[in-house]
Amino acid sequence: MMGKSVILASLLLGTLAFGGEQFAMSDADRALYAELLENNPADMDVEYGGELFEENVGGEAGLAKFLGVSEDALPGYIAGFPRYVETLGAVSGLDQVLQAIMAKNGHEPFALKSGDMFAMSAYVKSLANGEKINIDVNANEPMKKAYALGEEVFTTKRGGRGLSCMSCHSSDIIGSVLRTQPLPDLGVNNAGGTWPAYRMTKSSMRTLQRRFQGCMNNALLAVIPLGSKEMVALEVYVTEKAKGKAIAIPGLKR
Amino acid sequence: MAGRKALIKIKPKKYKTGDVVKVSFMVMHPMDTGLRKDKKTGEVIPAHYINDVKFLFNDKPITVMKTWESLSTNPVFTINFKVPCEGELKVIAKDNKGEVIEKSKKIKPKG
Amino acid sequence: MQRRSFLRGIGLAAAATAVVKPSLVLAAEAPKGANAMALDAAVKAITGGKAVVASPKVKLKAPEIAENGAVVPVTVEVDSPMTESDYVKAIHVFATKNSNVRCADVMLTPANGVAMFATRIKLGSSQEVMALVETSKGEFLSASQSVKVTIGGCG
Repeated sequence: MMGKSVILASLLLGTLAFGGEQFAMSDADRALYAELLENNPADMDVEYGGELFEENVGGEAGLAKFLGVSEDALPGYIAGFPRYVETLGAVSGLDQVLQAIMAKNGHEPFALKSGDMFAMSAYVKSLANGEKINIDVNANEPMKKAYALGEEVFTTKRGGRGLSCMSCHSSDIIGSVLRTQPLPDLGVNNAGGTWPAYRMTKSSMRTLQRRFQGCMNNALLAVIPLGSKEMVALEVYVTEKAKGKAIAIPGLKR
Repeated sequence: MAGRKALIKIKPKKYKTGDVVKVSFMVMHPMDTGLRKDKKTGEVIPAHYINDVKFLFNDKPITVMKTWESLSTNPVFTINFKVPCEGELKVIAKDNKGEVIEKSKKIKPKG
Repeated sequence: MQRRSFLRGIGLAAAATAVVKPSLVLAAEAPKGANAMALDAAVKAITGGKAVVASPKVKLKAPEIAENGAVVPVTVEVDSPMTESDYVKAIHVFATKNSNVRCADVMLTPANGVAMFATRIKLGSSQEVMALVETSKGEFLSASQSVKVTIGGCG
């Protein structure tokens, strides 16, 4: 705790404005942005993802069969990802499951970083819209290990500025304004339920892991590859923070 | 580029004859202003934007627009429409390179 | 120079209704260089020099503080019966300090039922967004709002 405050003081004090005064958006402004969700450009990606899902994975029937659940149980099951998937022998994200099914069906799997995969995995996650995030980090040993690894990745300081995710996303500092943006509480903000999302500054839809990479880039941390053990673990850790919150895909972010 | 994604949304989803609904037309389009440079090549990215949008109901124009590059990438165009009867709503959008995007949606009032 | 004579032109052209502060019609701070000409010229091309009245019938909704300049929501609503004899013919949206001040010209008809246009625009800097409305009776009404664009965030 002590060491952390010292680092914060020396590295961030210059740019932080506690309380978020002069650039705080009014409630009226926030309402205007909330309206944008009605017509989210990412809706078009999600629709396209649905077509890809039918063609390459066999739709809900194909996915349910691979996961060993009924089609009725599929939305609730999707709301529990990332999960330990026995057939893959690893804790996996939805995108990795979709890759496996594509390969099984004789298709060249979409790369995790491809627009097609972002679109398809967003569509699949949207099947769980309205469901509460029910990730179970204690379900089995692999999940427990993934959660522990995720926490390690989140809290370990590294890189040019000696920062960790915790440096900006810990409970003491949440709400402070860094470069005009209030630092979000990833649980309260429901990061787990609102990504994939359309990023206005990128004019495109991005997944949560992709957003992690962007964040790492800006904090001068070495970027971790999508789908790697560490990245999936980080997604497990951050998703758990939003446990119980409803899924609403696609999201809309700055 | 062939197969540009586009969507027409009607809000609310259930409406009666005489109701005024919100019609939104969304399309994936770069809306390049012609002022940006490609970060890798340093070349100016030429202006490429939707400049004409027509809303028709049963082939009769109800709203026509002239638009410019100041609109956001992946733009949305929202208007109101007083539902006179059952029919087809069609949107035809054109860009400055001559590409045409067309999308239709059935208007089915319940009552 | 051109701007001042344009304002005088508006003042002279005012008929029954008083022109409410011409400075509200154009950007409050004088746009510099090419933009100033562009805005005046663009407005004049639409109005033919006729008076433009800042009117509460035109409701322009845009954020006072836009958290990014790429996607700024703008909605224009006009209080109008939208009947064959009295409707809004056109809504013109301007970004008064962008390189091209024109955003959209929206030609409406009574079939719309309600005079409204909503979209998202790009703003290159903090500036006034303006709506210029033309009615079927040949009147020109307007509303404008200042939008502060914040640039920052973590990428």
